[in-house]
Amino acid sequence: MKRQWGRMMAGMAILGLLCGCGASGGGTEETFARGRQETRALTDISGADQAKGEGGDGQTKTLTVFAAASLTETLTEIASMYREIRPDVELIFTFDSSGTLKTQIQEGADCDIFISAAQKQMDWLDGAAGAEVNPWGLDLVLEGTRLDLLENKVVLAVPDDNPAGVDGFEDLGGDGVGLISIGNEDVPVGAYSLEILTSLGILEQLEEESKLTYGSNVKEVTTQVKEGTVDCGIIYATDALGAGLTVADEAEEGWCRQVIYPAAVLKDSKEQEEAKAFLAYLSGSDAMAVFEAAGFSPIK
Amino acid sequence: MDWYPLYNSLRIALIAGVVVFFTGIFAAYYVAKLNRVAKGILDVVLTLPMVLPPTVAGYFLLLVLGTKRPVGAWFLERFGVKLVMNWYSGVFAAVVVAFPLMYRTARGAFESFDETLSYAGQTLGLSGTYIFWRIRMPYCRQGILAGAVLAFARALGEYGATTMVAGYTPGKTATISTTVYHLWRTGNEALAFWWVMVNMAISAVVLLTVNMLERKKK
Repeated sequence: MKRQWGRMMAGMAILGLLCGCGASGGGTEETFARGRQETRALTDISGADQAKGEGGDGQTKTLTVFAAASLTETLTEIASMYREIRPDVELIFTFDSSGTLKTQIQEGADCDIFISAAQKQMDWLDGAAGAEVNPWGLDLVLEGTRLDLLENKVVLAVPDDNPAGVDGFEDLGGDGVGLISIGNEDVPVGAYSLEILTSLGILEQLEEESKLTYGSNVKEVTTQVKEGTVDCGIIYATDALGAGLTVADEAEEGWCRQVIYPAAVLKDSKEQEEAKAFLAYLSGSDAMAVFEAAGFSPIK
Repeated sequence: MDWYPLYNSLRIALIAGVVVFFTGIFAAYYVAKLNRVAKGILDVVLTLPMVLPPTVAGYFLLLVLGTKRPVGAWFLERFGVKLVMNWYSGVFAAVVVAFPLMYRTARGAFESFDETLSYAGQTLGLSGTYIFWRIRMPYCRQGILAGAVLAFARALGEYGATTMVAGYTPGKTATISTTVYHLWRTGNEALAFWWVMVNMAISAVVLLTVNMLERKKK
């Protein structure tokens, strides 16, 4: 009899826990929170010490930054630099694909700064953008804060020993090249790759010869090149540098759209001035040195 | 309409089916004869691909067959043949993933075999090969055929390991399953739906075959 009571109590406790979770907010919000905590743990190792040092007088302000996954390493490094000069500002990052972040912002996620890997996602949220790129008429971007932060280059990467002897985009139509890995048209870099091959007038020929193999994200293409399972691949300069791949060629201007990373402060931000200050720091020379070391280019 | 994915899928599944048919039967036959410890260990190893995600199988295959990995590098140097990113790379993936289905079903069939029939054959002076092919196999026919059909169906539907070792190259390594994924990712839903229908039709035929085989058993 006692045992049964125990079981019932345990069951009720579990039920209570479940209800508590349910009441504390939707599943997505919880996932956000968890993601943030993890990022904090990674970027803010000395955070606890600082909080102690400040004592009671300085209020810590929190900035939430949603940034494209390709910025993970650079922004984490810049965050630790920023903490040196602004210890009273705590930066919390959520890194994901720009499309996912856009959807989360649209659904009302708390976010002060959004940095996208393409104009498309920023346009979608920007009231100042035209109706054709902002079909839902969303107006979430704070006026006057949107800026083009960085440029990434589209490059042709080859395995270490370059077995097919690929020296440039112009070689891709030749007989020496077997398999070329690109992202599919849903992947931003894949869309750029198709534009480049179209500009060079070799897309149809390569398709007919079955020389194009499609990856479902840029990292898959990068791995295929690194493992040498393909003769070359079209990826971003930053991914090539990060994976230590040889860059055979860089896409010329006019072959495809520029790869621009826009950034902006969001209207719902409760720390708009702090957010603007951090955005200014990101465009400054200290942060730009970190971005350039990773293969990004500043906007000219 | 480009029919290549259907052709390639059927080709991969048929070759993998034949390979798995023979290797599965012989593995089942010989493992059943081993002592208990060896049997237990081998049974786990041979069945593992069935319970592992196909991506894990694909990972191991790449570790062995990749152009910079031991076996793959040797083949490339010796014969100039790339074992990955070609249509036949899909066969490796399908064989690994479909093998346990054939092996398990064949073992089950062999275990229900009445060994006195084999002893009777021996007393009549029949050879081991004759007993195996003319007595044991016909007796276990239904189970073995069902295993072969299941293995073929599994090979036909392979996606995870295939996409890792063969990639998606239209007209070269594209199979039905990788084509469906690619079409869906790139927003070509109408064509994706069409291929889904093709795949469903094939799978329905396969399942009908299995059911008919099982009914005959009773």
